[in-house]
Amino acid sequence: MDIGSAQIDNTTTPDTLEQWDSLKHMSLVIALEEEFGVQFDEEEIVKMLSFPLIKETLSSKGVS
Amino acid sequence: MKYTEILKENRQLGESLESSKYKISILSNIVAPQLNEILEYYLRKEKINACAKSGNYDNIVQDSSNCKEHNLVIIFWEAANLIEGLQYKANVMAQPEYDALMSKTKSEIDFVISNLKDNALVLFNKFSSMIFNSQTIKPNKFDDLCYTLNEHLKQKAQSNIKIVDIDKIIADVSVPKSIDTRYFYSSKALYTVDFYKRYVQYAKPIILSATGKTKKALIFDCDNALWKGIIGEDGFDKIEMSSKTGTGAIFEEVQNLALELNKKGILIGLCSKNNPGDVEEVLQNHPDMLIRNEHLTIKKVNWQDKVTNLREIANELNIGLDSLVFIDDSSFEVNYIKEQLPQVAVFQVPNQLHKYPSILRENMELFYTLSESQEDIKRSQMYKQREKREQEKGKFSNLDDYLKSLDLKLTIYVDNKKLIPRMSQMTQKTNQFNLTTRRYTEADIDKFVGADSYRVFAFDASDKFGSSGVTGLCIVRLSENKKCLIDTFLMSCRVIGRNLEFSFFDCVVETIKNMGIEQIEAGYYKTIKNNQVEDFYDRLGFQITKKTDNEKLYKLQCSQYKLKNISYIGVEHG
Repeated sequence: MDIGSAQIDNTTTPDTLEQWDSLKHMSLVIALEEEFGVQFDEEEIVKMLSFPLIKETLSSKGVS
Repeated sequence: MKYTEILKENRQLGESLESSKYKISILSNIVAPQLNEILEYYLRKEKINACAKSGNYDNIVQDSSNCKEHNLVIIFWEAANLIEGLQYKANVMAQPEYDALMSKTKSEIDFVISNLKDNALVLFNKFSSMIFNSQTIKPNKFDDLCYTLNEHLKQKAQSNIKIVDIDKIIADVSVPKSIDTRYFYSSKALYTVDFYKRYVQYAKPIILSATGKTKKALIFDCDNALWKGIIGEDGFDKIEMSSKTGTGAIFEEVQNLALELNKKGILIGLCSKNNPGDVEEVLQNHPDMLIRNEHLTIKKVNWQDKVTNLREIANELNIGLDSLVFIDDSSFEVNYIKEQLPQVAVFQVPNQLHKYPSILRENMELFYTLSESQEDIKRSQMYKQREKREQEKGKFSNLDDYLKSLDLKLTIYVDNKKLIPRMSQMTQKTNQFNLTTRRYTEADIDKFVGADSYRVFAFDASDKFGSSGVTGLCIVRLSENKKCLIDTFLMSCRVIGRNLEFSFFDCVVETIKNMGIEQIEAGYYKTIKNNQVEDFYDRLGFQITKKTDNEKLYKLQCSQYKLKNISYIGVEHG
């Protein structure tokens, strides 16, 4: 999303970060799937809108 | 490569490329955000400073009037989204409605291509039903729709429009891997990253051609690249390149593919470490050889290193190194060239030979050209790039540095009985790096190994790519008066060019010195095949004691021998 990792914390969401739009969210999900070798379903995709939520969804899929 | 890696490297490449921007506009009626960076990345790797922007969603028609500044326009006009759900609606729509839609779409197509008539290159995807209909047995209305629109497009498209057959790309990736239905229904994003990667690979030659970067010459190694076998070792009768044998059939196909390119005006050449005479004999007289001298624009058949040869080829053909494609079977050569001449597209003949023709076919697209008239018309609009030529002129190839990186090792064997069969075989098969060309049977070698008056040295060579096997032999005959004679010194052509002979010779000399030998005698006996070693002993510091047209005899005091001590070749005793 073209920003440094320092700008992201547990409260970052698409509402607080302008660059995090739906297209970027799609790219983010694709990257996460590739990195961790998992597949999210549509419900999970729309839920993962913050760093804690992403972590939670990943661990529910068995990723530590 | 992972998507995230592509994104990261794309950003880095974007920061480092200095040439002017190659502007790409992607117009689509679906959402295709991942295409932009994937496209930029693969083009930036080719030193094209690509910058891809998407038009507005589903605004192909309107956006097509805003593309005047762009070098390349790509159109992803998805049939399924002409109206919402067309992939199923087409099959149940009333005929008048269907006709109206077709008519409207055809006018839109006309309008779009007219707006784009001045762009250097337009990639227009075929209308495709493949994604939705890959399992239907009978064609349906949706198939007909795509067919009709494609026919219309073919008829109306002017020369700067290249129609991209995405069915081929989908076939390559497979239907399930090309689409992501999770996103299609929610946001009209149809295709996957895998699809986009393949799309870019498929379309890249077209773009490279429009930017003047088509490859112009295909250079082949000879042994195990144009025929099965090594001409210098296996001989004229044993090399295979015809469908008489299964392996030969592969090389017959490869040669045919090369001829196909040659017919289209691509230059074909050779770059091989061989005696010119040996290769010439095959070119002129071998009944199965398809590529003949009349097809070859250039030949570099010699014992020089291949980087120098390729530089010379580019020079003599008056083209850039980046216009060359080179094929070789040896990891050693391929890696050396990749390191020293990154602009040359190098391919290695695969170990699984049956894959060779398809790899060649894939790479033949590097020679794709837009039609000649197209290039004439668009020459003025062609993207120009600042060329960096310092690498092409006057820089020496750094073979030593490359050799140092290879982790070269020799294992030396002395009087080893287990190696008798191989050592005998080497005396019979080795012709080129062979000082005296004496042929010995296993019984002969057995005698030498057992005799006190002989020492039989052999080496096994390996590098970081693997072992080359037992590839060197030196037979020394000891005589009275602390003298000895080098009866045989040879090396398999597989390992020529790595300075192994010098480390081997160092080892031989040290061993015989330790035995109390003070003088070495040696000889070079000329044959039609071994001229490359004519000055071998001269280079080692030997003095000539007799010289005729056919032989040179030498001697050297052991104490005067200067060890080469090549630091990057590790020596062990087996």
